[in-house]
This record gives sequence, C-alpha cells and structure tokens, in this order.
Amino acid sequence: MVTQSQEERRGEQTAVRLGPVGKGVRVLVAVVGIGLLINGSVRASDDAWPFGPMSQYAGSVADDASITFTRISAVTDAGTTVDVPLNIEGAGVARAEIEARTGEIVKDPSLLQQVADGWARKHPDKPKYVKLELIRDTTQLVKGRVEGPPTPEVLATWEVRK
Amino acid sequence: MRFANWFTPAIALARIAWLRTVLYLFVILDMHAFVRDTRDKGEHPGLYQPLLLARILDLPKPSVANTTTLYVVLIVFCLIGATNYFPRIAGWVVAPAFTWWVLIGMSDGKVDHDHLALVIALWVLPTVKAGSRGIASYGDQTKSEAAGWAIRCVQICVIATYFLSSIAKLRGAGWTLAWPNSAILTWAIVRRPHPVGEWLLHHPWMLHVMQWVGIIGEFCSPVILWLKGRWQLLGALFFLGFHAANTAILLIHFLPTVVCWLAFAPLERVVPWYRARSDRKAGEAEDQTEHGRQAEQQAGA
Repeated sequence: MVTQSQEERRGEQTAVRLGPVGKGVRVLVAVVGIGLLINGSVRASDDAWPFGPMSQYAGSVADDASITFTRISAVTDAGTTVDVPLNIEGAGVARAEIEARTGEIVKDPSLLQQVADGWARKHPDKPKYVKLELIRDTTQLVKGRVEGPPTPEVLATWEVRK
Repeated sequence: MRFANWFTPAIALARIAWLRTVLYLFVILDMHAFVRDTRDKGEHPGLYQPLLLARILDLPKPSVANTTTLYVVLIVFCLIGATNYFPRIAGWVVAPAFTWWVLIGMSDGKVDHDHLALVIALWVLPTVKAGSRGIASYGDQTKSEAAGWAIRCVQICVIATYFLSSIAKLRGAGWTLAWPNSAILTWAIVRRPHPVGEWLLHHPWMLHVMQWVGIIGEFCSPVILWLKGRWQLLGALFFLGFHAANTAILLIHFLPTVVCWLAFAPLERVVPWYRARSDRKAGEAEDQTEHGRQAEQQAGA
C-alpha cells in the first residue's frame, strides 16, 4: 500500500526541474505580467487589452439615474417600421458598437449606411431599409425602481443610399 | 527561492496535454460562437478602431485576405495542436494568430473581459516541452516545473479576472464601496430585458444581495490559489455558480474564462482512474465467467 505522500515524494524525485535561467525568466515574466495587469486595472482603459481593467458592469448607477438604451429604428421599402436587430446575424453590427460610437454617428449619420448595407447583404430576400433613425430610450429610476415606460429621443436620421 | 517555487510547482505533463486538446478545440468554438465577427470586420472595416497592442505592433487593417488567412491558419493549427502531435509548433502559431483574431474582434469600441485567461494560456502552453506524443501524452505522469509554471499562469489569470473585476468596481465608484448598493443590476436588466430579470426588477433588495455576494467573492478569489483539494473545488464551484447566475440575470456566460478553470483540475488523474476502472471491470468480468463455468460444472455434475 503506497500512501499519497509517498507517491508525491516519488513524483518529486523524478520531476523535470527547470534550470536557474529558465526558472528566473519564467518567474520574471509572471511578475511583469501581474504588474501589467495591476497597472491596467488601476490606471488604464479598455484600450490596453488584454491588460486593461475588468470594467464590465463596474460602473455605479445611482438610485435616481436615467437609464439609456440606444437602438436603431428602420423604415423599410415595404412601408413597415422595425427595430434593427443589432447583432452579427442581423445587421452585422452589435449594439455595444453602436453605443460606443453614438457621438460619431450623431456628427456623421452616414455611418448608419453600413447598417443598411449589412442588413441587405445578410438578408437579400427581406424588405430593404430606406430610412434609419438612431433612437435613445430613457428609463427613469426613482429610489432604485423603474418608473414608467421609456421616453424615446431621435439622435440621428439617415436616408439610405441605394 | 520559496517565492520562485510557488510559480513553478512540479505538475504532471498529462495535465498540459489535456489542456492543449480542450483549449485548442475551444478556440475553434470561440471563433464561431463568441469572437465571431472578425471576418465580417475584414469585409467591412468601417468601424475599425485599432487597440493599443495593434497600434504598437503596427498590425495591418483587417481585410478579407488577412482575416481569411487567419481563419484558415487557426483552424489547421488548432486541430494539429489538439492532437498533441507537434503541439509546440502548432502552439506558437495559434498564440499570436488568435491574439490578433481577438484584437480585431474587439477593435470596434467594445472590449470583452472574458478572454484574458484563454489568450495567456495559448501563449504559455507552447513553452512546455512534451515528454510523449499523441494519445500517450494524456497519461504522462512525468512531473515538470515548466508544466507547473504554465498551469500557474493560467490559474493566476483566471483568478485575476475576478479579483481585478472587484478592483474595477471600486475604481468605478471613485475608490469607494458604492457599487454593491448601487442600481447597476437594475440598469443592466432594463437594457437587456428578459423574464428572470424583469421579475427581479420588482425586488431590488435581491439584486443588492447579489451585488454584495459578487464583489466580496471576487475580492476574496485569490485565496483559491492557496486552497487545496476539496476546499479549492468548493471555491471553483462557487465561481461556476456565479457564472450560472450571471448567465441567468445578465445573459453573460464568460465561457472562455470558465473553460480555463480546468487548469485547477487534476486532469492527469483521468487516465490512471480510467485504467483502474477498466481493470476492475475486466477483473469482475473474469470473476463472472469463472462463476458461470463453476455453475455449469455443478449443473453438469
């Protein structure tokens, strides 16, 4: 009967050890990596990926905050008004990307053209978009609870080029 | 010296072999299920905004040619690496290629935080010299400090993902503890409504409890690096539960981090356990035939 500690000791004896240089370099790389991670979390932004801060859902939202949600509404050549599915399978662009670039889109609504192009390319048999509106919905919190339905606001409008 | 040894525990090479197979196959899944818009970005680089690393390395803008090449190279070399034949050559190709793939995928104003451990794992795995090839490598019990270092790096990155999340939450609140009492989960659910979340909106206190459990768990996560055996398993299960809750409430799965929890698992015991089990089964089967023969003889007598 071999006890676990004996087994471990035997393993230790046959272990492939690192030389001083190999070990030193590895420890140094690990320590520098940890340093970069800490630096990223304390001072950097997402730009420093993979050493940026882990800032997903790290913001604090006040009890009386207004929660905004950005979406794109489209008028189609079939005369209907639809919400553009903001994902890769839908219009080929994710909502987070649109939200991150809202300021740029407001300044230059022609950036919305690629949303229409993406939709047309991925769904050639569906009605085409003829007009796009970038809309911000605002939901009001009162004492941490949702108060009433969201208020929509049109931020940018784009007549789609054929 | 004790400090250096902590970074380089002697761990059986079999664990590296298992991680190679699982992680290289996971990369292929990831390219189709998670960071899956890289090739789309090659076709339409309009919103491309290179991240720091891409600017430092002066990486070319994504194009159909380079993203398609990346795709093919990744599939081929991940499949090779997963077999544990030529795992180091394959690994040194996959590491930079997948890093670039993810860099492009995240160069549009949104960065995900679930890829740290996976990307670092791909960079450290090829530093380990394999003792045996192919199938034999899954049972290789030779302990190696090089293997231990690679595994320790993955473990550190898994834990860092949680611990640094708690730091980001403190930083986001101006280095105060305002986050767990804030309406962050309410905000998240309003923006991504679904039945479980909408039910929870009526009970903000439950969301606050979850926020406290989350941030305390994340802040204490480094303890897991020093826990052993069952206690470490318990720590791992806590975070797997944490991910299950996140998936239910926020629709965020973090699978690229979850798969890297395998670096904590004693995968090197799989083959010995399986062998012992089949030996026992074979033994039992022999016993049974022996019994049967005896019974026949008795019946014949």
